[in-house]
Amino acid sequence: MRYLASLIAASLLLAGITHAEEHEGRRLAMPAKVNAAWKTECGSCHMAYPPGLLPGRSWNALMNNLSHHFGSNASLDKGTEAEIRQFLLYASSDRDTRPAKAAPGERIVTRITDTARFADWHEEVRADVFRRQSVGSAANCMACHRGAEQGNFDEHQVRIPR
Amino acid sequence: MSRLFLLLLAASLAPLAQAASSPAELLQGYAAEARQAAPGFSGFSAERGKELYYRRNTKDGKAISCASCHSDDPRRSGMTPSFRKIGPMASAVNPERFRDPAKVEKWFRRNCDDVLSRACTPLEKGDFLTFLTTLR
Repeated sequence: MRYLASLIAASLLLAGITHAEEHEGRRLAMPAKVNAAWKTECGSCHMAYPPGLLPGRSWNALMNNLSHHFGSNASLDKGTEAEIRQFLLYASSDRDTRPAKAAPGERIVTRITDTARFADWHEEVRADVFRRQSVGSAANCMACHRGAEQGNFDEHQVRIPR
Repeated sequence: MSRLFLLLLAASLAPLAQAASSPAELLQGYAAEARQAAPGFSGFSAERGKELYYRRNTKDGKAISCASCHSDDPRRSGMTPSFRKIGPMASAVNPERFRDPAKVEKWFRRNCDDVLSRACTPLEKGDFLTFLTTLR
């Protein structure tokens, strides 16, 4: 009996820690000094998605294919492309600078909404909420996360518009 | 000392002065290119530029034109499909337009490909700028 109680206490404690960590994780690390070219170029058609939302190889894959960027030509001159790529890799979720060459059977995710973390964090959000006119789509982070562009995805600051 | 400061100031401002240009200068450049492409070139037309702005093409099964994102009235703000506001295109209401040749070329390169699935000709670029810089 006493054993069971301590087991429960231990698991509660663990759950608490896990929850705290998960909560912390929702504030993405953003470099204190963001790259100006990244902010301008990646922020002109859509929100400048914080580099920490994807691993390095995903950013590499995206930067390799800018002239076919989710249906748009987002090509850059070579110099700007290299500068932005370096910033993205340096601040990516895993700082993985390996080239984006998929191993057999491996798929390199390029859509933030296709990452496991996105699915995890949004499992309580119904699909129709993302389709609301006030939201637009799941790509519009700022509809609900006002501080998204600064890397702030704190769930206590989420405000889902009607 | 102060002369050195002024010299440094001038040197640091030089690249800025180089990047800034007027829409008229841009048009001159496109006119030279258009003349080279077709010796019979007889000037740009706001009317043709307007037609280009509203011309509808099909992309991925959907109708698309410049106006789709830049709004039906170029004197008003537009919106990208991914939720970014775009400042008005008409220079009469947005004087910052068409002052950076590299920026203008970048967007022609991308957007002509997106909307027309090809590059724009110098004549089209000049017509387009003529429409947007004469619109009141």
